[in-house]
Formats: sequence, structure tokens, C-alpha cells
Amino acid sequence: MSALRVPLILIALAVLAAVPWFGSDVLVQFGINALLLAVLAQGWNIIGGYTGYASFGNSVFYGLGSYGVAIAMVQWELPFAVGLVFGVLLSVIFAVLLGIPVLRLRGHYFAIATLALAQVMTAIVSNVKLAGQNIGLVLPPLNNDLLFYESALALLVAVTLTIWWLSRSRFGFGLIAIRENEEGAAVMGVNTTLYKVMAFALSGVFSALAGGIHAYWVTFIDPESAFDISLNVKMIIMAVFGGPGTILGPIVGALSLSAISEFLSSEITSIAGLFFGIVVVAAVVLMPRGLADMLRRFRKTGWRYFAENIRANRL
Amino acid sequence: MDLLAQILINGVLLGGLYAVMALGLALVWGVLNIVNLAHGAFIMLGAYVSWHLYTYLHIDPFLGLPITAVVMFAVGYAMQRGLLNLIVRAPMFNTLLITFGIEVVLTYLAQLAFSADFRTINPSYAGDSFQFGPVVLPVARLLAFGIAIILTVGMWLFLLHTKLGRAIRATAQNLVAARLYGVEPRHLYAMTFGIGIALAGAAGGLYGTVSQINPYIGASLTAKSFAISIIGGLENPLGVIVGGLFLGIIESLAALYIGPTFADVASFGVLVLVLIVRPSGLLGKTA
Repeated sequence: MSALRVPLILIALAVLAAVPWFGSDVLVQFGINALLLAVLAQGWNIIGGYTGYASFGNSVFYGLGSYGVAIAMVQWELPFAVGLVFGVLLSVIFAVLLGIPVLRLRGHYFAIATLALAQVMTAIVSNVKLAGQNIGLVLPPLNNDLLFYESALALLVAVTLTIWWLSRSRFGFGLIAIRENEEGAAVMGVNTTLYKVMAFALSGVFSALAGGIHAYWVTFIDPESAFDISLNVKMIIMAVFGGPGTILGPIVGALSLSAISEFLSSEITSIAGLFFGIVVVAAVVLMPRGLADMLRRFRKTGWRYFAENIRANRL
Repeated sequence: MDLLAQILINGVLLGGLYAVMALGLALVWGVLNIVNLAHGAFIMLGAYVSWHLYTYLHIDPFLGLPITAVVMFAVGYAMQRGLLNLIVRAPMFNTLLITFGIEVVLTYLAQLAFSADFRTINPSYAGDSFQFGPVVLPVARLLAFGIAIILTVGMWLFLLHTKLGRAIRATAQNLVAARLYGVEPRHLYAMTFGIGIALAGAAGGLYGTVSQINPYIGASLTAKSFAISIIGGLENPLGVIVGGLFLGIIESLAALYIGPTFADVASFGVLVLVLIVRPSGLLGKTA
């Protein structure tokens, strides 16, 4: 990390933190959404970007976090913080119990097994009485967007610091080794099962916290929205668009894609979603290693960067 | 007992349709190593092609299936040749993402072009049924089941005995060796994807005769096709029949005995179990 970068990041952070004081209500609300998505993208970055396991099940953690808060606050009348802890606990239990069998699978199989888990969770939760079945739960409202905004930002800082720690710790190197060559990592003495489950759980903790904050903010959750599978795909696209396996890439991806899609849905409502799909397709073809990689290399190679990417991956 | 028999029959009839849905996905996955997340969206498009043929040109949905298949083949060939061939050597994850992007685009285009209304393909014989002992066999479902089995077995024979089928299987086994023997991969990949999409289109046409269609049916059909491909394994098209029947019966039984909302839990629960216990499918070789 160059000497210039730390002050730049701090300034950006200060500007982000000050948004509620100079921005409009709409901007703050957009900010809460975008920051929570950035947290999800970063959470996915731990298991998908660093460990190389393409989880399509992170929305389960998000849903468990939402339901942890909702159940604690509505059914048991406990404070918000206890709900967050409860949600995190549920996520960690889920990550350990299901992570051990599912993380044995590789590649497509892992991706699909996690996708199936997300589907199963939606259906199970719609039948649990404590969780309000398929009607959902209504939380007590709290009109304090400032608090939600700052806590979302704090969460994003926490997950980013965790990833920064990963990028220089023994644990993080173990994860990268698993991504690059799992057998090799095992031979070198990495306890691959333990590392993978820990990465899955860590990814789950942050996703659950994001889900908890979101649930309290929107004050209503139901199984369909809490375990929304498209949310999963969204966080992956944001992470991959920005640059998976980098410290700041997923944040850049999440904030820029959120801004684009917000701008489009206010300007040309009907084709905003269409544009999102086209961006994904174009990004995979033209910049498959993400925005971070493109910015780094574009200066050297110019427009040839895109042609080279196509040449590297085409038949 | 009669109820159970009826449920089992319903499950089997549904399962045949499921088999065709998964057939194209399994073919593309096995040969191109692309898990096509847009597969369900192509099924949806096929259903709309069939619906247009029936509503505006009054072509019987079953007789119109070849037309639907040809149209969808062209779409699939062009998509592979023009777009997916550019990324086939990219990491697995990027192929997942691009097909997801295609899914989003197709769903939106369908919504713009066809509106979000529910459509059904209702030929005059849609309500007819046979009484067979204690169980009822609806004609449309029976026809769909029969065509599904014919398509699946036909696909199996095609892969075993035709030149193109052999080239496809050779490419699936070893691209470099197939190339040395004169297979032109860009064309062959496009042919394979085209066939996969044609099958998806045919499945869509059949689906339209037994169920309602709208632009959003794609995602859940993709998920089911996955489950079936994995349960049946990718090596053999006949495995897909087993997977389809298995899923159809499990879903029907779960809907009856545990409750309709649990049908999906049962099917995806089975999928996760199969993945964990036998990652190469129930019929596949052990990993």
C-alpha cells in the first residue's frame, strides 16, 4: 500500500461518513442500501474471492441475520443488539453444520449446492411459526436514518479491515493457497476443512450483520425478500465487477453498480434491469478480472486491454 | 391407495417433462462445461414461441414443436457463435456470471415484448382425460410425457450413432484430440449449444400445454433442471429420465404428505443430499 493511498482512503471515508449532514434524505437512503450491498460483496469476497469457493448461498446468512433481529425484537421483545448477536449465532451455526459437508464439493457443484440451500431455507422459514411463516414479521419502526447509515458504514469498515488483515495474515495466505491449489495447500500443512469452514463462517457473520441492520431499517421482512436469491447474484456481480480477491475492489464494484442502477431506474425505469444484465455480459467478456485489474493495466496497454482479454478466453 | 396411485402417476407424468427440461442443460454442461443459468429463460422463450404459433397461426402445440425447436436452435447457435465462444476458456465462475446476465436480459426482453400476463396454451383437447382403473390420465400431460420420452431416447441414440453425435461426445472427452481428428470446435460448440437450446425450446412448448407461462418462470426451471442433471449424472441422457422421474415423484409425494410449500424443499433437499453423498450423480461413476 503506497504512502499516498492511506490518506486518500481516510479522506474518502470522512466524506462518506459526512453524507448524512450534507446529503438529502434520498441520498442517505440510497447510501444505506449501497453500503449494505458493499458489505455483502465484501462478505462474499472472503469465501468467493479469497478462498475461491463460489458461494451462491450467502443470502442465507443475510436472511438468518434479518430473522435473528426480527424474531428477537418482535417475538421475544429483546433489544436490537441482542437480535444482531442472535442472527450472527444462527449464521455461524449454519456455516459450520452445512459448511462441513458442502465445502467438500468443488467448482460448479459447490455453487449449485449452496444455491439449493438458499431455496430450501426460503421454504423452511415460510413454515416456521416463530418466524411468522410466509406472512413475515413487522418490526417496531425507528426513524433514524443517520444511525442506520453510520452503522452500515461502520460495518463496511469492519469487514474491509478484516479483509485487509486476511491479505497479510497466515489465515489469509492459507485461504489463498486453497484457492490456487487445494491439494497443494493440504500438503503444505493447511487444515483445509477448518480454514474453509472458518472463511464461510466469517463471510456469514458480516452478511448476517448486514441483514440485521437492513431488517430493522425497512421494519418488515418475509421469507421471499429475506432469502432473495437474486441478492446473492447481485453481491457476486458487484464483487466480480470490482475485482474479487482484492481489498477495495468489491466496494468500488458495489458503489459504482448501485449508483448506475439507481441513476437508470430514475431516468429510464423500464430498461434499468435490462441494462444491468448487459453490463454483466459486457463485463465478463471485456474485463473478466474486474474493475481493479482494468484500472491497473489500462494505463499500460490502452484499448488493447479488452482485445487481449477476449483473445485469452475465446475458443 | 387410489390417491397414492394417482399421485405417483402425476409424479411420473411431471417427471417426463422435467427430463426434457434438464436434457439440454445436461448436454451443454457435459460438453461445453458451461452451466447455463439462462437455461430456464430459454425454456420460457420456447413456451412463448409455441404460444404465438398456437394463438396467431393456430398451429397445434404438439405439431408446432418442431418449428419451436428450429427457431430456438437458431437462437442458440447464434448466441454461442457470437457471444459464448468468446468466453468458453474463462474461469468457471465467469461463465456462470455471463449466463446469469443473459438470463436477466432475456427475462426483461420477454417482459417488454410479451407483457407480464399469464398465458396458457389451451388446445381443444386440454381438458380431456382417460380413466385407467382407479387413476385419471389427462391427455395433454400424457402426450407431453410421451414426446418427452421420445426426445430423450432420440437424443441418446443421436449421441451414440450419428457422426455429429460422436463428434460431440469426442469433444466432451478431449477437445484437443477431437480437434486433431478434424472437429471444428467453434462450429461444434455452437451446434451443441443450439441443440441444447432447441431441447429447452421444445420443453417450453410442452410446459406451456400443462402449466401457465409468464416471463419469470425461467429461474425456478433452471434450478430444477440443475437438480435433475445432478441426480441423473451428466454422462448419459437416459440418466436425465431417471432424475426427472425421481424429482417429479418426490415433489408430488412431498406436496401430498408434508404440504405443497414443501415440494421445493424436498427436491432441493434431495439435490443437496445427492451432491454430498454421490457428487457425480445417482447413476454416475463414484468420484
